[in-house]
Amino acid sequence: MLKALLKKQLLAIAAVFTQGKNGKRRSKVTAIAFAALIVYAVVAIGVLFWEMSKMMCQPLVEAGLGWVYFSVMSLMATGFGVIGSCFMAKSKLYEAKDNDLLLSMPIPARAILFVRMLGLYVMTLLIEALVFIPALAQYYTVAGVQVASLVSGVVLLLVLPLGSTAICCLIGFVLAWMTAKVPFKNLFTVLGFIVFMVVYFILYSKVNEYIGYVLANGEAVGTTMKTTLYPFSQIGYAAEGNLLSLLITVGIWGGIFALGYLVISLTYFRIITMKRGERHAKYKEREYKSFGALFALFKKEFLRLIKDPMYLLNASMGTFLMVIIGVMCWIKGDLFGLSSESLGTLLGDPSAMLMIVALTMAFMTSSNTIAACSVSLEGENITLVQALPVDEWAVLRAKLYLHFIMTAIPALICGLTIALVLGLLWWEVCLVLATALISSLLFSAFDLTVNLKLPNLQWTNEIAAIKQSASIVVSMFGGWGITLLPLGGYFLFGKYMPAWGYVVLCLGIFVALTVGLSWWLYKKGTKVFKTLSV
Amino acid sequence: MLKIENLTKQYGTKKAVDSLSLHIAPGELYGFIGHNGAGKTTTLKACCGVLGFEEGEIYVDGISVRENPLACKAKIAYIPDNPDLYGFMTGVQYLNFIGDIFKIDAQSRNARIRKYADAFELTFALAQPISTYSHGMKQKLAVIAAMIHQPKLMVMDEPFVGLDPKAAHTMKTFMRELCEGGGAIFFSTHVLEVAEKLCDKIAIIKDGKLIKAGTMDEVKGDHSLENVFLELV
Repeated sequence: MLKALLKKQLLAIAAVFTQGKNGKRRSKVTAIAFAALIVYAVVAIGVLFWEMSKMMCQPLVEAGLGWVYFSVMSLMATGFGVIGSCFMAKSKLYEAKDNDLLLSMPIPARAILFVRMLGLYVMTLLIEALVFIPALAQYYTVAGVQVASLVSGVVLLLVLPLGSTAICCLIGFVLAWMTAKVPFKNLFTVLGFIVFMVVYFILYSKVNEYIGYVLANGEAVGTTMKTTLYPFSQIGYAAEGNLLSLLITVGIWGGIFALGYLVISLTYFRIITMKRGERHAKYKEREYKSFGALFALFKKEFLRLIKDPMYLLNASMGTFLMVIIGVMCWIKGDLFGLSSESLGTLLGDPSAMLMIVALTMAFMTSSNTIAACSVSLEGENITLVQALPVDEWAVLRAKLYLHFIMTAIPALICGLTIALVLGLLWWEVCLVLATALISSLLFSAFDLTVNLKLPNLQWTNEIAAIKQSASIVVSMFGGWGITLLPLGGYFLFGKYMPAWGYVVLCLGIFVALTVGLSWWLYKKGTKVFKTLSV
Repeated sequence: MLKIENLTKQYGTKKAVDSLSLHIAPGELYGFIGHNGAGKTTTLKACCGVLGFEEGEIYVDGISVRENPLACKAKIAYIPDNPDLYGFMTGVQYLNFIGDIFKIDAQSRNARIRKYADAFELTFALAQPISTYSHGMKQKLAVIAAMIHQPKLMVMDEPFVGLDPKAAHTMKTFMRELCEGGGAIFFSTHVLEVAEKLCDKIAIIKDGKLIKAGTMDEVKGDHSLENVFLELV
């Protein structure tokens, strides 16, 4: 039984990578393109952590504090794993569509929980590997490869996510328990997320500071690790080949996973079968106003977004980021080391600041994926909207407008704040705001195009459409590519034109792309939408 | 009201519907029966413009579904077999959504929501999210949403599944009311007793092909519909 459940869980994870639209196996071309995207994502994130490891590895290893290096990197991997997985823990564990189906079979609830925790473990392992493998590679480059440390590295790679998974599952458990009991669960979830994001950003903005501190005070950090973060100090020793520490680490992380499993299993059946704590709203008849079809479709999209915390939090990540960054910049302008002087010094070219700010705005607008899953979210209900007497273009426009509004408004606020904090000239502010607007338009069209090309209408859990579909991966990394390419281009070709000229050139390209994509959506996208079926 | 001429729909090499022709006049309540996978849902979806088709033509009130799908959809109410409506909306939000799409003025909308929600005893739940509804409540809401824009043609896929006896009775009353007002209903069902008692005409489909169609007497003669169906299918 457990084997069958495990197989089902692994098939579901594998389907994310192997299956295309309508649950069919990907064609060779799309499989290659998807694999290329995955490689791109892995390389992009991996390089980021490789560089971070590079800053710490050599100095600490040379100072005989290699274990401190591994303790810090494993702490970072755990944090990354928790951030990456905690938002799907609740839905994966408690809100899967096949809950009733599985519970109707002679399967103990704890077996369902165990298999779902293992599924989450695999996802966390993939996320943490992006941090830990570069960290290991960096260490082997500096200290050389030894059999003991190589074996330890592999074991730690597999063991470390056990702890993060347990933490995520416990967060999911607390959220599920509270949302089952507490009314206004959406508000509660969103507020929790905002607090989480603020804390995350404060920590993230201080990463370089922390790395500097670790480098300057390696011994002191080591002592702190041993006393207050003992499990991580053992990981450090284990990674350098200490067998006893490796056994202790396996015991601790395995124990945390088992403990998490035991705690959650006590209430698992009760929570997944509990009626959600919805407030019983009483219907009061009132006069309704009539609106146009486009407004009705837009309202439908908007309601879907705000009534679904998973959709709101994952697909509107950019909205929250831009608001939080804008507010934090306003309160504390130097939070990210932002000032004309610092950026100018960093770039060695003060005039490039405008270009950096403008393209950073474009980058942030690409973080929203509302339109990238809006078609997929129609799911098996797609016939409901297809049967309505509205043309497909109106349906697509409603999706585009929602993405645009949710992106452009915070982008304007954030862009204006950053531009003012940096003391840009009025015309430079206008260029930044124009970039915010145009890139919001571009990524609305881009994301919707991608979702029409890569829809996933057959999901058992909406998280598959919101977070794990090919469409999301392509739109997210494609969007980043669209904004990072011009940034790279500036360092190659920027010397041939002023920064403002380069920004205008980029905006011209963005406008051309937007027009092209909108034309495709109008001409072809509508036909694609019309023929979509489960 | 609904004219299907030589409809053919293929999934790959398999013909789900094969040269099917059917004519439903205003005022007729037309039942559509067949075994699982016979092609009923495919035919119903094609009539609503939800599914394209390779050959043939479908006319709703004289308008071609292929050439002018929006005008056809404006005259149709479609109730799918799975009433899994938008769970993120409340019942009344969904009804207003349908009202806006079909351009129902505020006054008529209020009156119709009141009439149908009261009749189906769903008024108490209209402020609740659809995600909290039972299967039967969703089915009732789907029927109310179909009724409030007073369609000329109702296309329904297994409309009685999930309805309690009282709601099923209410629905039959409204179905008859719609037909008496000059509308037409085309619906699929597996409940042969319902089809026998309710329908003016009946069509039997097997492996995508229409094997018998006509008035109830023409199709079943002196036998029960169940016997005829089992014999033919």
